[in-house]
Amino acid sequence: MNYCLLGAGFVFHTLAMIQRGFSFSRCPVNNLYEAITFVAWTIVATYLLLGIWSRLRFLGAFVSPVLFGVGVFGLMPALDNPYVGKPEFINGWSSLHAALILLAYGAFGLSSAAGLMYLTQEHDLKFHKLRAVFSRMPPIERLEMVIGRLLCAGFILLTSGLAIGAYYLKQTQGVFYKGDAKILWSMLVWVMYLALLLMRWRFAQTGRRFVWGAVASFAFVLMTFWGTNLLSAIHQQ
Amino acid sequence: MPIVVVGLSHHSSPVTVRERFAFADSAIPATLHKLRETGLAEEGVLLSTCNRVELYAVTERADRPALSALRQFLLECHDYREPITDEIYTLSEPESLEHLFKVACGLDSMVLGETEILGQLKKAYDLALQHKQTGRCLNKAFQRAFNVAKHIRTETNIQRGSVSVGSVAVELAEKIFSSLSDRQVMVIGAGETSEKTARALLSRGAHSIIVSNRSHDRALKLAEELGGRAVQFEGWANEFEKIDIVISSTSAPHYILDRAKLSPLMRLRKNRPLLLIDIAVPRDIEPEVNFLENVYLYNIDDLQAIADNYLKQRQEEIARCESIIREKAKGLFAGLPPQFGLPGSTRLAFGNE
Repeated sequence: MNYCLLGAGFVFHTLAMIQRGFSFSRCPVNNLYEAITFVAWTIVATYLLLGIWSRLRFLGAFVSPVLFGVGVFGLMPALDNPYVGKPEFINGWSSLHAALILLAYGAFGLSSAAGLMYLTQEHDLKFHKLRAVFSRMPPIERLEMVIGRLLCAGFILLTSGLAIGAYYLKQTQGVFYKGDAKILWSMLVWVMYLALLLMRWRFAQTGRRFVWGAVASFAFVLMTFWGTNLLSAIHQQ
Repeated sequence: MPIVVVGLSHHSSPVTVRERFAFADSAIPATLHKLRETGLAEEGVLLSTCNRVELYAVTERADRPALSALRQFLLECHDYREPITDEIYTLSEPESLEHLFKVACGLDSMVLGETEILGQLKKAYDLALQHKQTGRCLNKAFQRAFNVAKHIRTETNIQRGSVSVGSVAVELAEKIFSSLSDRQVMVIGAGETSEKTARALLSRGAHSIIVSNRSHDRALKLAEELGGRAVQFEGWANEFEKIDIVISSTSAPHYILDRAKLSPLMRLRKNRPLLLIDIAVPRDIEPEVNFLENVYLYNIDDLQAIADNYLKQRQEEIARCESIIREKAKGLFAGLPPQFGLPGSTRLAFGNE
């Protein structure tokens, strides 16, 4: 039921975004309002994709409130600034760059939602809380697997998004790298997630520590995303 | 309505009496046949388990003499001559129907809400059905009883959770591991509870049970029974790399697994989750190991606490189940022609279809 409703919402959301995209003739990810709706869209998309396996549909219980929160935030006034003048970036690369990175954050967001479930359930199991057994949460091993896969997917998306960003910068400004706040910040995020995945694969830092890492990393992204966005000159058009 | 129950159960009589009344499966059809021959009843189902012997019958006369005749029949079947009073109960409608539904739901069982009785009841009914000892009335009552049992299982918490240590262990394992198939279980020290727990895990798909015991012969025997493999007691730690669940129940006076020992083993296992079930008294596993990452240690008290809590939950559901049962029993013969649902009706023509 939840899955179907979210699916229907997703269809309408997609139609609305396509329309907006066509009316500006580019991917609608240029101001904060569009970025927020796009993140919401990517979260639903990722969830629907995972929901193909009905075992993973439990994520919906955590995803839906997050989506609602994001949606309300997106409707705040003054986020949907009209474009000033003719946008500088008009080719597909910049749209692809933004879309891939936002998709990555969608995956990271979902993984931290699953992470919160893991941490609650793991704590309850460890300390013999009765509610651990009574709860209908999925087994922690499966949760950890979901978190791991989401982080991998997110990391690949982030990597390709950043690479395209660098390629685009080279094309337009002749350099791969610029000392811009958001570029530095994105690289920091990339290194953070790389470290998290490496710790898990190479040093068997699994379970609670790994999940804490996933949750904390996304919390960091959430808290600093808008700030660095404002500081960054090349992302303020 | 003329469905009556005559019988005895763990509530009414001790095992010394119950064992005298038990029927072998092979003797049941003949007994039912005799019951109908003598004209005491038109239909009959005989349920005989270790906790109860009950005769469900349809008789034209549901009055006191008919009931005591049925009671006498049961006594004569076993040639029981000792004085007997409250050990045998007789119930007529509507209590008899409600009793049947309660039995089907496990409400009358020793372990509240257990489901084994439903299977036994189905078997008893099938046996009578095959030998054409049932008719329209009992067929309907038993079908309804099975429906009610199903309804109660889905609508209430009476069967929720596990009330035995073994099945609680399985439930815990299912909260930790994605699936129990292909999990390796190690049993250290063979005992009754550890064996039951291992069997419960086995029934959920876990395999490769490894048994280790001070007496290697005992280990070999249990390993063979469980379809696993036995290792020497001294060498159990060497097998640890692939193990996911450990059930420990040795009679060792000291800890056989402590934090210092487990810590390197966990690294060997690449920190995969590990469920330790310590059912030994004195305990086998140092409580400190629970502080290691990905280790989940439960001792016998922890498991018992969970089981007790489930039992409490089930007890809280009894009232709800009983009201459902009353409702369903009331409605059973409501849809039939008038001569069926009238209480105390004496003239009934039941075909032996």
